[in-house]
Amino acid sequence: MLDELKQQVRELFAGDVGLVIAYGRSRDERTVPVFARKPADADALVWNDRCYYNLTRYLTDRDVMGDGEGKIGIVVKGCDLKTLNVLLAEKQVTRENLAVVALRCKGMKDADGKLLAKCETCTVADPDPALCDCVIGPVPQREPREDDFADVDAIEAMPPAERLAHWSREFERCLRCDACRNICPLCYCRECLASQHDPRWIPASGSATGNRLFHLVRAFHMAGRCTNCGECERVCPVGIPLSTLMRKGARIVRESFGVEPGAAPDQRSPLASFAPNDPDPEEVAIK
Amino acid sequence: MPKKLKIVGFLCNWCSYAGADLAGVNRLQYGHEIRVIRVPCSGRVNPLLVLKCFQEGADGVLIAGCHPGDCHYQDGNYYTRRRMHVLRELLDFVGIDRRRLHLRWVSASEGAKWADVVNGVIEDVRAACEDAPDSALSLRAAAGAGDA
Repeated sequence: MLDELKQQVRELFAGDVGLVIAYGRSRDERTVPVFARKPADADALVWNDRCYYNLTRYLTDRDVMGDGEGKIGIVVKGCDLKTLNVLLAEKQVTRENLAVVALRCKGMKDADGKLLAKCETCTVADPDPALCDCVIGPVPQREPREDDFADVDAIEAMPPAERLAHWSREFERCLRCDACRNICPLCYCRECLASQHDPRWIPASGSATGNRLFHLVRAFHMAGRCTNCGECERVCPVGIPLSTLMRKGARIVRESFGVEPGAAPDQRSPLASFAPNDPDPEEVAIK
Repeated sequence: MPKKLKIVGFLCNWCSYAGADLAGVNRLQYGHEIRVIRVPCSGRVNPLLVLKCFQEGADGVLIAGCHPGDCHYQDGNYYTRRRMHVLRELLDFVGIDRRRLHLRWVSASEGAKWADVVNGVIEDVRAACEDAPDSALSLRAAAGAGDA
């Protein structure tokens, strides 16, 4: 599978692709994103069960991309393809400028060799060939577990005061390092409102209230867009269960508006569209 | 003596503000806990504005706009309806009482309904404040600046 990938990347360079974003190895043997710029770079690529990174994150990164590098090749897993769909739907990337190399994926494993939760419930291990330039690898034979949203349910079952206390405990550890924001492929705003000085929407330094606001705003901005790649939670240095918050947003949007983020490259963001029969506040009148 | 509440009301210029005006012309009495801000459309109300109100010490927020289908700009209130639904559910999930945030439809002819809506919202916010006096988003309360 890896040889096939390397061959494919070399072929991309033979065409009009000048840069390929893929997985490689760092000096300390971790699997990290690499930017291949010549055919020989393909030799150093890797594919294993530690390819966590959602590489679509770099497509909107002006520090990496500059003002555009011509046609770009990108290696994606099935789940990353969903994120790419959102980026395409939001017109952040142009499909014609991309060569999408999708990998059939058996799931990523954490440091203890345990399958990631998002991989246990993965339904996109075999990416849709219609959305990719090529799909590599054997079709994975794995029955995904039904996603039961147990993490979200556990918090919903708490009384409100306990929910507040629970999230306060989580958020008070937040260093406001912005790792979650910086790794997120859909947090592509050039200027994040959390860093704006005037108006200052969210206090810059860490505080119980400020942290709560920051994560609330991020959760709101992600609702209906987040494809649950789980990168925010993975990179959080203090282990805040951010996926739970993101998944709650996803569930609200799915149950209320019937939208699954990233299902198609032409799907409008649910909060930038509406339906006449959406849940109405006056039909669940206040008591 | 119950706490003196502060509730911010965002009223759309075309329906709800006119409705509130009608309530005034008709000398209808309703709670004075509400502070009205006139906006061009309920669709103008960025959810950040709601959070900003809570930050600055508001106990509750009411957004009022034209009935669905009646928006002066065709569909502004439909977007608001989705946004505020998501915001309210997310607030609830992190333990901030959903009774603090309301979205209602008040047309220009519904002066009486406006009075009812305000009284209903005040009642709800008061109940929420009895359970938890602070919205948990107020920077003033956090800084111990009191409720000046």
